[in-house]
Amino acid sequence: MALSSAGDPVPLERVLHRCSPMPAISGVASNHPELEGAICAWLLESRMPLPRGLDLRVDVVDEVPRFEDAREIFPQSEVEIRAGEPLGWVHLTWRRAAAVARIEATAPHAQVFLSREAAADVDLLLRSFLLVTLIFLWKRDGRYHVHAGTALDTRGRGWMLIGNSNSGKSTTTALLAARGWQVGTDDIAFLVDAGDRAGVLGFRSSIALRSGGYDLLGKEGGLPLVARRKTGFWPEELGSSWVQTVVPEIVVFTSVGGERTTLTPAAPAEVLHALLRWSLWVMFEPTAAQEHLDLLSRLGRQARCYRATLAPDLFRAPGALEDFLP
Amino acid sequence: MNDASYRRHPDLRLTSLEGEGVVLHLRERRYFSVSETGLVLLEALKEARSFEELVEGLLSEYDVDRETAVTTTRAFLDQCLASAVVTEIRE
Repeated sequence: MALSSAGDPVPLERVLHRCSPMPAISGVASNHPELEGAICAWLLESRMPLPRGLDLRVDVVDEVPRFEDAREIFPQSEVEIRAGEPLGWVHLTWRRAAAVARIEATAPHAQVFLSREAAADVDLLLRSFLLVTLIFLWKRDGRYHVHAGTALDTRGRGWMLIGNSNSGKSTTTALLAARGWQVGTDDIAFLVDAGDRAGVLGFRSSIALRSGGYDLLGKEGGLPLVARRKTGFWPEELGSSWVQTVVPEIVVFTSVGGERTTLTPAAPAEVLHALLRWSLWVMFEPTAAQEHLDLLSRLGRQARCYRATLAPDLFRAPGALEDFLP
Repeated sequence: MNDASYRRHPDLRLTSLEGEGVVLHLRERRYFSVSETGLVLLEALKEARSFEELVEGLLSEYDVDRETAVTTTRAFLDQCLASAVVTEIRE
């Protein structure tokens, strides 16, 4: 996952402008009231259903505790993960600043300890360390993270765009929003059981475009996300609306490059490998691993899957991605 | 192989899509592809099975002769034993 950002820290006071008066969520607590408010505001803004029985405690401490844990480390972007046997519980360590999390093996309970340095840039803390913590908590409630964007086309068909942070998901999602498609997320999606199908919940946040994507979109405005060197657009600013749940009928594994946009059908083995690659959380612990895996294969069965190379000609096509379906 | 039975590693998770199987090895944090036949054998190996039971399983599932079933099972088991996906249990 690419959760990194660069640039100056965003002070807590700026984040708090979004959430006054401070909201509260049962099950979320901190010894730092402003931080608790920022976390609650972020979660409420995401519109994600919170894990049942959530118990998230986030404390700012002078000395971050060290957990005795000899398990192998799995580095994921900015977060180191220790999980699985023999201890069961999950241990996260942030590389950006001193911060650790201990997550119970089966219940959505986590204790997070932050240094003052870690708590100084709340926006980064939320998008990086706390998001990974929440990904494990949601997993304990049957919601499995996938690095993907989601949208509903004008005919009501569900689309899912899967790929890394530089694969054109956000720019394409913004384009789709500008063409009247409803948008769930450009980046943070969660697989859920939707009866005999796999549904995908979108974590509501602004669509964050780098300068190249911003230029391609050609829209004025947006919110400067200075620290991330991006510009954020809410779907509504692009003439669209947010949709929480998408049941994908079309899955596109995205990459960028070349002169022409192409969509090529993906073979079943390729589909399974790609889905696993972008939902790697299934690998870390036995908790719900089979359910997670079954949802990935259900998604592969229910959807038509394509490998895509996205190019600037996508922006000249009236039907956007639809125009390139084989 | 006659006196032994075999069982898959308890940390394996399996799934398939249109005849293509994927096996997740949670202990080793890796995943790999298996054929449809391999998936059938690994499903059976959730419980301890003798070589003969595995061959019989293939014969009941597929329209193949015994020699092919024996060769396929032996080759797959050898591969799985070498990569610790399956363990051999001696009585």
